[in-house]
Amino acid sequence: MKKPSKKSETEFCKVCRLHHDQGSRHKYFPRHKDFLSTFLDRFRSKIADVRFFLKNPSVLRPEEQSQNRVWCVFCDEDIVELGSSFACSKAINHFASSDHLKNVKQFLWKNGPAMDCIDDFRISEADVAKWRRKCQSLGNEDASSFKGSCGQSGTSNDIHNKLAFKTMDKIENVPAPHINSHHSNDVMPLQYNTNKFQISHSELSGVAHHASYLNMDASHLPLCTDPLSHLPGNGFGKDSIASRTKDFPSNGNYCNQEDKKQIKGSYSSPDGLVVTSISSSHSSDACGNVHSGAPPPWLDANDGKSSNVQLNQSDMSSFQAKIPGKTRKLNPNRVGAEWAERRKIEIEMEKRGHGINNKIDADWLPNFGRVWQSGTRKESRKEFEKEKRKLVKPESISIESEPVKVQPYISKRARRESVENGCG
Amino acid sequence: MSSYLLKTLTKKEEIDRIIRDTIDEVLVLRFGRCTDAVCLHHDDILAKSATDVSKFAKIALVDVDSEDVQVYVKYFDITLFPSTIFFFNAHHMKLDSGTADHTKWVGAFHIKQDFIDVVEEIYRGAMKGKMIVQCPVPPERIPKYQLLYKDV
Repeated sequence: MKKPSKKSETEFCKVCRLHHDQGSRHKYFPRHKDFLSTFLDRFRSKIADVRFFLKNPSVLRPEEQSQNRVWCVFCDEDIVELGSSFACSKAINHFASSDHLKNVKQFLWKNGPAMDCIDDFRISEADVAKWRRKCQSLGNEDASSFKGSCGQSGTSNDIHNKLAFKTMDKIENVPAPHINSHHSNDVMPLQYNTNKFQISHSELSGVAHHASYLNMDASHLPLCTDPLSHLPGNGFGKDSIASRTKDFPSNGNYCNQEDKKQIKGSYSSPDGLVVTSISSSHSSDACGNVHSGAPPPWLDANDGKSSNVQLNQSDMSSFQAKIPGKTRKLNPNRVGAEWAERRKIEIEMEKRGHGINNKIDADWLPNFGRVWQSGTRKESRKEFEKEKRKLVKPESISIESEPVKVQPYISKRARRESVENGCG
Repeated sequence: MSSYLLKTLTKKEEIDRIIRDTIDEVLVLRFGRCTDAVCLHHDDILAKSATDVSKFAKIALVDVDSEDVQVYVKYFDITLFPSTIFFFNAHHMKLDSGTADHTKWVGAFHIKQDFIDVVEEIYRGAMKGKMIVQCPVPPERIPKYQLLYKDV
């Protein structure tokens, strides 16, 4: 025997934003689960932004403090960064606090899903400790050098210089495997300039590292002993190119790259553009090219098809003649459908000038129904035709016959009476 | 003024041509005189509605005083003016408005919307294969008249 389901008190679900009396069963409903997943995804993106500043602390300017705010959905609290010197500092402290952890646990218990995703919505103490150390180091350095930006914030225009200073120092002191682990999950900082000054770097490290530079592989970072000498302003690029004409032709000729050994078809132009050349397997001498004035390949390909295209067009036009102007399919059972189709074909043929008799028969009349009380409309037409014939015949006869004497109308009764009177 | 906006036909050839060239659209032919007051009122409503129904209907005026047109006047048993006759693909469409004559609309429409409704109803019926449709105009706005059928 089925127990009647107990109706619990009406409560408000924060996720679905509706009142329900389903009690604890509500969190298992698919609609609630859908809403929950979007709800949590939104918060995950917010906390991802906060984690970014956790790993890359940046100074928060006073005018930006009011804009830097986060709403915590678990604690129902708006975290505003008023009075904080680093971006998202209050948010980081909040997400690491025990109160927030308690609220997250309560939320997950009440609304589902399982508790294993609890770490997605909080920040660990270890991360906070690292962040604090970074903030201390930031605070110790010269404020004017890092005013408005730090690391990969991108607000400074001299990002290349700063990165060169910071990253090159790190590279000097730290071996390559450690760099890999340090930057394994994050976006790689710009280890080198991607402008003409890249050539200066490549020359020092040797030709063998060129491919690695182009592929931006962290494991092949060069250990430059004197990186500062190759910073922008040295004007080093062109000279280095000229001295290596064997490997990197600077005349801009992009053909015949088969002689290259170290780099597979890529080289740098004097302007600093890194381009990749293609092998000349399909040489242009046999067919000609745009410079030699050869016809374009698409016209050559279509020469054989042009006649077919013309034939197809004529077929298409005849097909389209059936439906000029309107592409949508009309009801074949509509009134006068057959007549309409025939007429469309006639019109199309007239347009093409196929010499159809354009003159309409003088006696043509539409399919009609005059006023009639019974029978079909065709009968009414037959009646009209009869009347027409009668009209024609009497007219022809009356010309020959004597003129008709017009007499006043005498009713039938009067006529009968006169006959009776006459008889009687 | 409506004659500037709507085409006036005076010959049988013109009427034949317009009937034959109107394909998959309702053709509205008004038989009347441009000097008659009721016809003028009717023509004004037709002219104003012409653009609204242009996608599925065409409107033309026929001058009943023209000699060429008399065969059509007799053909359609037109005795009262203005009379409006509807065609679809050269087929005469009937309109059951509760009056004695279902083959035409006798008199003027009261408002523009009535005319548009009638044309729309005819178009819908014709597209479904119906040759007679029910008039959507309420009875109070349908002109009343006495029909002489076969001179009776």
